[in-house]
Amino acid sequence: MYDYHRNLEYYNYENNNYNQPMFTKNENPNSLYDPYNGFIRGNMFPNLYNEYKIDPIMLQSSNEEMQLKLMLDALCFAKEDLNLYLDIYSNDKDMIELFSQYTEETRKILSEYEKKYGPIFVDSDANMVYPWAWDNAPWPWENK
Amino acid sequence: MWKYEKKLEYPINIKKKDLKMAKAMLAQYGGPYGEMAAALQYLNQRYTMPDDKGKALLTDIGTEELAHIEMIATMAIQLMQGATVDELKNAGLEGNFAQHDSALFPTDANGVPFTATYTSTTGDYIADLESDMAAEQRARATYEHLMDMTNDPDVLGPLSFLRQREVIHYQRFKELRNYYLENKM
Repeated sequence: MYDYHRNLEYYNYENNNYNQPMFTKNENPNSLYDPYNGFIRGNMFPNLYNEYKIDPIMLQSSNEEMQLKLMLDALCFAKEDLNLYLDIYSNDKDMIELFSQYTEETRKILSEYEKKYGPIFVDSDANMVYPWAWDNAPWPWENK
Repeated sequence: MWKYEKKLEYPINIKKKDLKMAKAMLAQYGGPYGEMAAALQYLNQRYTMPDDKGKALLTDIGTEELAHIEMIATMAIQLMQGATVDELKNAGLEGNFAQHDSALFPTDANGVPFTATYTSTTGDYIADLESDMAAEQRARATYEHLMDMTNDPDVLGPLSFLRQREVIHYQRFKELRNYYLENKM
């Protein structure tokens, strides 16, 4: 039978209350998920996390490439989510600092990954090689 | 301009062929509440946002939606990998095969081609942001329907990730709309 109440939890969620003024900044960046835990949820902000049907799916890495890739994906994701937040709350100094920290960490992981497994960006150092490395498989949509 | 990152926003490695799921997945590719409509809508609306906050947010969310188009395409392609003509026919994909073979074409789950009328721009930033909030809710609901149709963790993971992004985007659009209302812009 169709469960008409399955979405109830979503609509009871405090952040979806249309009558509440919601222009309040996140008070403590330390209350954010770390990049991995934010990434597997698709959300860096515990107070906004809204689950449906399943618990977050743990992403496994069985070799060094997958591990580096997972760290890279998680850091890029953390930056993306903080970026959207900062577009609105542009005076949140702590969050800007956290964004800078993740940007710095991303640079390191990205350069290590690209050096070992090929370029993610066409203009990266890892693509300054002969023969041209950019067109090497796999492409992102290809099954590994 | 845009710069390509040769990776997905979230990894997708689907091992199990599921043609009916692939067909359903097209809802979020070229469907009315899909990622293509969202990307075009936000990227068109950004030019008439009243301040830099709005221009930034619409640009950044619009850009993320482009990455989501790529994720949906990847899921559809991987779910159809290695399908025979008979299997496609049994899954109701014979029309898709006749017209496009195994190529991707932006339609909804019923094969109706994508159209710009799935997007909206009014030049009124409150109307636009409220339509964006609604768009995010419709996409969230669609992701829930898609999640209801599969138990494959390789498919549920990316769907759940994408659904959660709708929750966040909705929140940020709402915050921007409330900021404009509170500051009487």
